[in-house]
Amino acid sequence: MIYFDNSATTFVSEAVRAKMIELTEDPVSANPGALHKLGNKAMETYEGIRRETAGLLGAKPEEIFFTSCATESANTAIKGYMSRNRRAGNAVISTKTEHKATLECLEYLAKQGYEIRYVKAGMDGKPVEASLVEELNKGDVALACFTLVNNETGAVLPFEDISRTIRSVSPSTAIYLDCVQALGKMPIDLSKLGADMCSFSGHKIHSVKGNGVLYIKKGIKVDPLILGGGQQDGMRSGTQSPVLAGAFLAALKEVSEGIEEAREKACEINSYLRKELSERGAKILSPDDALPYVLNVSFQGFESETMLHCLEIYDIYVSTVSACSAKQKKVSYVLLEMGVDRKTAANAVRLSFSRYNTMDEAKEFITHVDEIYDQFLVR
Amino acid sequence: MANVLLARMGEITLKGLNRGSFEIQLKMNLKYRLKKFGDLKIYQSQSRIWIEPKEEDNPNFQSMAAAEDIMKAVCQVFGIVSVSLARKFEGDFESVKENAFICVDELLARNPDLKTFKVESKRGNKTFPMTSPEICEELGYQILQKYPELTVKVKNPDFILNVEIRESNYIYSGKMMAHRGLPVGTCAKGMLLLSGGIDSPVAGFMMASRGMPLDAVYFHSYPYTSDLAKQKVIDLAKIVSGYSGRMTLHIVNFTQIQLDLYKHSPQDMLTVTMRRVMLQIAERLAQKNDCKCLITGESLGQVASQTMEAIAATNEVVKMPILRPLIGMDKQATCDISRDIGAFETSILPYEDCCTVFVAKHPKTHPHPEDIIEAEKDLDIESLVEAGVLGTEDIVINPFD
Repeated sequence: MIYFDNSATTFVSEAVRAKMIELTEDPVSANPGALHKLGNKAMETYEGIRRETAGLLGAKPEEIFFTSCATESANTAIKGYMSRNRRAGNAVISTKTEHKATLECLEYLAKQGYEIRYVKAGMDGKPVEASLVEELNKGDVALACFTLVNNETGAVLPFEDISRTIRSVSPSTAIYLDCVQALGKMPIDLSKLGADMCSFSGHKIHSVKGNGVLYIKKGIKVDPLILGGGQQDGMRSGTQSPVLAGAFLAALKEVSEGIEEAREKACEINSYLRKELSERGAKILSPDDALPYVLNVSFQGFESETMLHCLEIYDIYVSTVSACSAKQKKVSYVLLEMGVDRKTAANAVRLSFSRYNTMDEAKEFITHVDEIYDQFLVR
Repeated sequence: MANVLLARMGEITLKGLNRGSFEIQLKMNLKYRLKKFGDLKIYQSQSRIWIEPKEEDNPNFQSMAAAEDIMKAVCQVFGIVSVSLARKFEGDFESVKENAFICVDELLARNPDLKTFKVESKRGNKTFPMTSPEICEELGYQILQKYPELTVKVKNPDFILNVEIRESNYIYSGKMMAHRGLPVGTCAKGMLLLSGGIDSPVAGFMMASRGMPLDAVYFHSYPYTSDLAKQKVIDLAKIVSGYSGRMTLHIVNFTQIQLDLYKHSPQDMLTVTMRRVMLQIAERLAQKNDCKCLITGESLGQVASQTMEAIAATNEVVKMPILRPLIGMDKQATCDISRDIGAFETSILPYEDCCTVFVAKHPKTHPHPEDIIEAEKDLDIESLVEAGVLGTEDIVINPFD
């Protein structure tokens, strides 16, 4: 099997599995909120995990909150910030290439009467500087929402430039950054990054599904999304799960090591596939300077879903955002926003790698692509 | 006292000397369909079929709410016009009254808004000391006494309480309407061309309603269509078989055939040549499986392959009759039936026709015979048909397991 769908989700690593089993053993499975000593022990374990997680991300422990997924983190950050800081302004800026978790929150805010301004994206998938300045200059911008690495194309946001622009034009604007696809693939130090809120997901870094992290910089005020027993400093009620938090940490530890080596390996795979696929007439839609872990390719003569099923025959798994239906062709809004034409976008397939993919797999992939062209191309 | 189901027969009662064979088939179908509802006694008197649990504590007969599933199952059996849940009991008017009260209690518990009623009665057992009008009058009076919130209304009451005095006494109110038709199995089997769309399941349902058992054939083009599309067709076959009974679904691996057709026939004729090959494969499978006709969901003028010329062009390649129950039907009417039989939500799932490469932008809507000869001149039709028949996977669809 060749699994090139790591931006969708990843396999659970051995270390994560082992950590989870360890943490389900007594006495740590007691409620961390309980007053007895078993509860205290669970809380200690949990707080330890929080400290270590914060350390690896370059944050303070009190800035880290465990959530159920990155979508929850995004919802809390975006909706919670706007609801808490009503005087900060009535506008939010973002781009149309964001993940649905962000875009749907913005839709929701628009219905509440907030003004959502979208910064134009260039062919490279990055926000256009002039457009950013223009939207900021209109004033009243409470929040800016961006993504560090785009999930469909791997386009990397020049975040330093973006945050510098925002801070100089509109210093009171808070910044939310979706770091889901970046985590473990590029170094992230939250103390230096310059974002006020960030979201992370566990299952994209070889943890299980059901755990995410929300970072809220000290001093930034956000209303909680989930109310209840006041756990996690009231920011995220619901009994804390040392098991899930521990799974996230175990995964984070693994991917935080050898980031550069893993990146070089991904670069090798990526460049090889870019070259081989281009020679076969495929169009590379990921920008040249994209993160090497994501490669968006448009295969000439094959609609996305057909190519996905062709690859599936060879036990190769990729993904497509251009879902097919007879009546309505749904094409990736991210690619369209980048200026890719409809027909090319309709044939787009996303290959996404993890640190565990190999060159051998890439070579085998190309062999099968050739077979698919021979066997299934309709001329 | 026990609850029983009273099912009414329709068209069968118009049959002459062969009526008996239709009734036997109907009872067999009911027995098969109701297998999962416990040990039942199914018998007939005049134009009615009675369904009784052999064990008194059968949970499917305990109340109107509990009986809903078994009543729906009865309604899926063609040949039945309607069904009611009735209380069966013995005794004099006093027991009629008691049972009527229980019935009214249950009705009011289910719907407190009921305000008006009337009593209708039939007396087959002439030894019962009251006439039908007397029963209506006295029972109506007793109900008014016990339930002061109710009033009698002869025209369009909120509910009618039916009393029947036969060998036993019965009381019931309301009925669930069934799909009428003739019992499946009273005519020869047909082969349904089943796609993932709205029309073909409805076509299958309609032919089954005339007593026809079905097999179905589906043409699968993986990887151009996904396995989800195939699963959708299996799900639709299961829905249709809820009415038609057990069927075999023949899944033809159509990928290579489609590629050959694409390579060797002109784009604008692809739909016609493809349908001609499909029908020939379907006919071969029909012959092998003892089917006497093909059934399609075609409706005149709906799409390019359903113009009169295109239908004539596909029709001529097979000898078997092709039944097209929807041919003169409006799409809306077809959708209404599709909803009614519970197929619509599955039919509109978006997996079919995932790949548009095989669909010509401008298909020939009025193909001439010479166009067809020209289109097929480079094709070895016989070997394509043979390959299709050989590359078929059979799935037995049993809806009641």
